[in-house]
Amino acid sequence: MPQQLAVIVLVDVGNALESQTLNGNTYLFDNMKLQGSQNQGTGDLVTAINGSYWQDGSQASEQVLNWLPYSLGSIPPTVPRGYEAERARQTDEQALAELEDLAVKSSAAGVDAAAELNRIRQSAGRRVKTTRRTRGRLSGQKVLDVTGKVVSNGGTEAHSYPAPVITDIYGQAVDEKVIYPAEYGSPDLVTDGWYWSATVDTSRPGTYAYTMRIQLHRLVQQGGEPLWEPVNLTCESRIRVITEPKRNAFTKAGLGLLPIPPRPFS
Amino acid sequence: MTTKPRLRETGAAAKRPISITAVVDCVGALASHSVHGHLYLYDTNKAGGSTGFGTEELRTKVRRGDQLLWNVLALECEAFVSIDDIVIDRDVIEPERKIYPGTDVAYWIGTVKKDDVQSVPYQIKFKVGTRTDPITTTLSPALFG
Amino acid sequence: MNPKVNIVVVVDVIGALSDGTLRNGNLCMIDDGSLASTGQGTPELVTVVKPGQVVTWSALAVDLQTPVEIKSITFLGPDADGGHEAEQAPPAAQAPVPHGQDGHADERHNPELDVWSGVVPYLAPGVAHPYRLEVQMYEGEYSTLHIESPALMCL
Repeated sequence: MPQQLAVIVLVDVGNALESQTLNGNTYLFDNMKLQGSQNQGTGDLVTAINGSYWQDGSQASEQVLNWLPYSLGSIPPTVPRGYEAERARQTDEQALAELEDLAVKSSAAGVDAAAELNRIRQSAGRRVKTTRRTRGRLSGQKVLDVTGKVVSNGGTEAHSYPAPVITDIYGQAVDEKVIYPAEYGSPDLVTDGWYWSATVDTSRPGTYAYTMRIQLHRLVQQGGEPLWEPVNLTCESRIRVITEPKRNAFTKAGLGLLPIPPRPFS
Repeated sequence: MTTKPRLRETGAAAKRPISITAVVDCVGALASHSVHGHLYLYDTNKAGGSTGFGTEELRTKVRRGDQLLWNVLALECEAFVSIDDIVIDRDVIEPERKIYPGTDVAYWIGTVKKDDVQSVPYQIKFKVGTRTDPITTTLSPALFG
Repeated sequence: MNPKVNIVVVVDVIGALSDGTLRNGNLCMIDDGSLASTGQGTPELVTVVKPGQVVTWSALAVDLQTPVEIKSITFLGPDADGGHEAEQAPPAAQAPVPHGQDGHADERHNPELDVWSGVVPYLAPGVAHPYRLEVQMYEGEYSTLHIESPALMCL
């Protein structure tokens, strides 16, 4: 069973906004270094995607890519959004409890709906897993500085940048139908859980480029109110697809008898 | 946009601390009991002249009065990593462990006390996974003036 | 009777590497055999099989984003009975993994291509045939751990 492939997109948001480009301000990682990915931690990552096929030529495993955008120097993604997010979480928990109650009572809603809601509630209640995957869409949140304190007087110099948001993935790898990216919802109502994911067709080896459209946010003052102004930039990366045949690990060839030495009757 | 001049991010005069972020491949570190080859360091002072981005020997350009904030990211979503200690010449800076309010996630912060420091190498100790012994950097990042 | 039996090895990679052991709940095994296997959900799984059945082992990381592979499966001879389960990896007998710090070896062994599968031969009935199961998590000096507690058995 293959592991899930994750590409981390770490953006120096302050520098990127200042210089109006992601070039030189984006650092990419994946969890495929062992499998041959190159240039980890740079803007020039080549992600190795190693497919496999059975003797009849059919694809043996499905490879799934996920993208996780982070902001360099901001409050880390392991932290919920301070007091405001904590309060939002509590109210969400409450709302979910009520929804679950409704689902149980409603004759139209089956057992599966309740189980699903329970699952959602569990995810929403577990900070570590859900907040890392995606960021909220910023609405209704307070501006915080990089130590997590609320920036109250509209002073914009010290604020922490929100995590970048991927808004599209396109380009050669998509045009040539090697990856099929889409934005998915995750059962996480606190962070508005959306993330980009793609399945990979590993039957056509080669190196393919793709482009991410990434939205950053600049804090501006409008009518005395702080406002996050979106800034859209793009950044390119590559995947390198190879595919190899599966083989039996005991015989290094086809299926055979298990190599079990004889043991005496007890 | 008419508001443009007000929107400029202030550069050198910014009150935002210089953030130094360690990205740790936790599984790699645990499998070798070392962060060598599994650590990538960055800071937010590229424009100010820092060098060595993405290596274990990041050199952060600092001046007296700069606030430095260290934090850490795990390459694997599910892994735990934290900074256990920062070993550095305390005549230059005394990093302190603090907690993001309302959480159990820590960061380290301090203020540079000297001007024109030559090169001040330091070590970072990481707590990784559920391992009790911290893992210390083998190559040293540094501050310079 | 189903002609196939699947054995799944589930590993908490970060827990196993942190503790330096596959014990402490860091590994569990389950099979989907239709006969009376024992020790489901533990490292002491004894899978009951019949000659001619095809057994397939696969490894799965609890958290899905960390690498874990079966490095070797070695059936133990009678001498190895009550075998000591040293927690350190034995000298690598199987396909050696490149040890480069940066992992940039040109020719790399892709363990994901390995299918750990075989036909059950005639076995003395009622006797557990233990095997050493070696798993590799990432690479490095401490990346390989093993257990010797699981077994196959014919009734």
